[in-house]
Amino acid sequence: MSSSTCIRRFSRLSLDRTAHPPIASRSLLATPQTSCFSTTAAQHASAQGKKGMAAAPKRGARTLNIKKNKKDAAVAKKPAPGERKAARKRIVLSNNNALEVETLTDMDKSTALANKHEGQVKGIPDAVVDALRAVEAFKRSQGWSMFRRPATLIRKETTQLAELMSQAEGGEEGKPKTVRRILTGERLNGKSTLLLQGLTMAFLRQWVVINIPDAMDIVNAHTEYAPLPGSQPTQYSQETYTATLLSQIAKANDKVLSSLTVTAAPNIPVPFPAKGSLKQLAEAGVANPEASWSVFVALWNELTQPGRPPIMFALDNLAHIMRNSDYLSADVKPIHAHDLTLISHFVTYLSGSKLLPNGGVVLASTSKSNTPTVSALDFSLEVAEAKQYSPNNMPQWNPYKKADQRVIDCLKDIKVLKIAGLSKNEARSIIEYYAASGMLRAKVDDGFVTEKWSLAGMGNIGELERASVRLRL
Amino acid sequence: MAQRDLSRCLLRAIAPISRTPRPIFASPVARCLSTTTPRPAELLEEPQERFKAAEPFDFAKEDGPRSGGGGKRLLRTLRIVPASPSYFSAKPTFTDDFVRLSALLRTVATLPMVAPIDAPKVAWKTIDQYRIMTNEPVRTQRFHKMMHIVRRLNCIHPSLMPEEVLQAMQRFKKDSQPGDIVPNPGVIDELGRAKGVGRRKTSSAVAWVVEGEGEVLVNGKSLTQFFGRLHDRESAVWALKATQRLDKYNVFALTQGGGVTGQAEALTLAVAKALLVHEPALKPALRRAGCVTRDMRKVERKKAGHVKARKMPTWVKR
Repeated sequence: MSSSTCIRRFSRLSLDRTAHPPIASRSLLATPQTSCFSTTAAQHASAQGKKGMAAAPKRGARTLNIKKNKKDAAVAKKPAPGERKAARKRIVLSNNNALEVETLTDMDKSTALANKHEGQVKGIPDAVVDALRAVEAFKRSQGWSMFRRPATLIRKETTQLAELMSQAEGGEEGKPKTVRRILTGERLNGKSTLLLQGLTMAFLRQWVVINIPDAMDIVNAHTEYAPLPGSQPTQYSQETYTATLLSQIAKANDKVLSSLTVTAAPNIPVPFPAKGSLKQLAEAGVANPEASWSVFVALWNELTQPGRPPIMFALDNLAHIMRNSDYLSADVKPIHAHDLTLISHFVTYLSGSKLLPNGGVVLASTSKSNTPTVSALDFSLEVAEAKQYSPNNMPQWNPYKKADQRVIDCLKDIKVLKIAGLSKNEARSIIEYYAASGMLRAKVDDGFVTEKWSLAGMGNIGELERASVRLRL
Repeated sequence: MAQRDLSRCLLRAIAPISRTPRPIFASPVARCLSTTTPRPAELLEEPQERFKAAEPFDFAKEDGPRSGGGGKRLLRTLRIVPASPSYFSAKPTFTDDFVRLSALLRTVATLPMVAPIDAPKVAWKTIDQYRIMTNEPVRTQRFHKMMHIVRRLNCIHPSLMPEEVLQAMQRFKKDSQPGDIVPNPGVIDELGRAKGVGRRKTSSAVAWVVEGEGEVLVNGKSLTQFFGRLHDRESAVWALKATQRLDKYNVFALTQGGGVTGQAEALTLAVAKALLVHEPALKPALRRAGCVTRDMRKVERKKAGHVKARKMPTWVKR
């Protein structure tokens, strides 16, 4: 072998190295590494190898190769990535086939918290609908897609919530209060809708609204997490989720946040202009997800400065944050949901260990579908209900059940807002709305209303809608 | 003399017709006369008439105390007419019945009648029951001829029905008549509750109905919590819904056993019965709504040699 051949081989080797671009550090495993002692380029080698490497069919196995069918497979077009999920999650808020209800009026700022609308169906103004959509307050399972535009029934519990909100605003005395409530009630009884009504009233009253649409999304380990530096015991922040939440806050509270400016330079690792608005602050968090948690904290600090509007802090599907999350710590132990920064922030205010200086409502809603059983939560809610409604009959903790002390502690002195069935008058009002929308073709009289009310389990509004609108025969 | 004897014999001949009910002779050995094959025990539980052949003539008595001819004199002079017209047949009960009914019909034939459909509803004995009662192999056709007369008698206007006809028909009626068993009337207790019990398949339900405004609790839960399907909810309160009483009563019920559908339909019956205590006049309406009759259908039992109740194993050639 002459030396010239050797040189040629070496030169080829060097060519191969230069042919590859420098590999990014994180994707070391993504592209095949070349062995320095091979004289063929790795890509070519692997490509050739694959062609020949296709294993021969096993003896006796039939291979079917009909070329006609291949064409057909190409004809059926697959949906683009994400298209199916978008269709599944799409929220439709109007139905052009439904009739416009002439008598339907909107809720407005001045009368949002008054109780004179009790028992009436009220429309949600378009601006608020956009905001509610931004905070994902509408659920697919609710029947929004059957009516011309979103409208809700102002029921007894709604006026109770409105009363609480006016107390939180300060009421007559002018001293703002922090109201903490958990919405409980049977399945399909309108808990999430009441939460949405609370958000609606908050938007109308120009509060700052922070809504966690479904607690399951925080704890199911679908978004990235990282330990918060310098926290003892270790807390975990979720950058992407927090950034998404910040963008929702910025979008939904556009008007309010734009009008407010920062009082002091925020302690965030990204440059921020002096006298910037709070909206800019939130958007800084959206643009830099790695700084999102510190932005959220800075935003919260700004919102709790004196003279700022009250805050509506809401969360749906409470049971998910009252147990271990699906995240694992560095030593492969499950992380308790209360160790996630966002949740611990919410729980601090729900438990009342911190108060909202400008007043506001911390509202959590339980859910009866797609929800884990948390015995400590159930017991705390039972106790809270008994304290309010039947103090002589307090429930006893079952000593054979495992108690989550953190949950019991944080719900020690919570109050519940129990949602019962509709009254007959409320049922009549909503059925008349169904009829006026053209979704119910029946003569609405007392007998009809009572029949539907009874069949819906004494005025369960979800069942009422099902029985009169969805399951029409 | 002969005339007197004749009249006496005639009297004897008519005697079984005029005497009602039939004379019963207390004879424990009545069955000894039977020529039929013994019947299975369950059939014998039917009450069987005691039967004895006509009494023999006492010729010595007929001769009179003075004569010592052992009745030979009488025997020579008399033409004997038996008491029953069917004396020479093997067993005369059926013929007696038939003759007696025909005679009775002749006496009451002129009484006004009602249409057969308006006549009182009676469950007549079947031919088997009649055969067991008389212990006589009655022919089907003859039996039906007789029953034709009985039905004709039943069509006499009830207000003019003679007592003897009623007694004669009694012999052909079943022991228990439809409408004999009258259930105890339900009561509304001091708290205004009426109770009803219903069953369907293997479920049973007890419902208490009180006046109210349409609230329903089943096993302490609301209707929606207990029954997931709207259809089952409607079934449970169907008695109230079909009579437009849903807004007038409250129901609380306990139900157990079986599945969801069975429990819902057991509740239908229970609620209907309890509602009938409050408003008995609703019975026809409830019957039309199908809430009165208990649906007796149940799962058919599995049989040996079958895969299920009726399904046979797959046929295999060898």
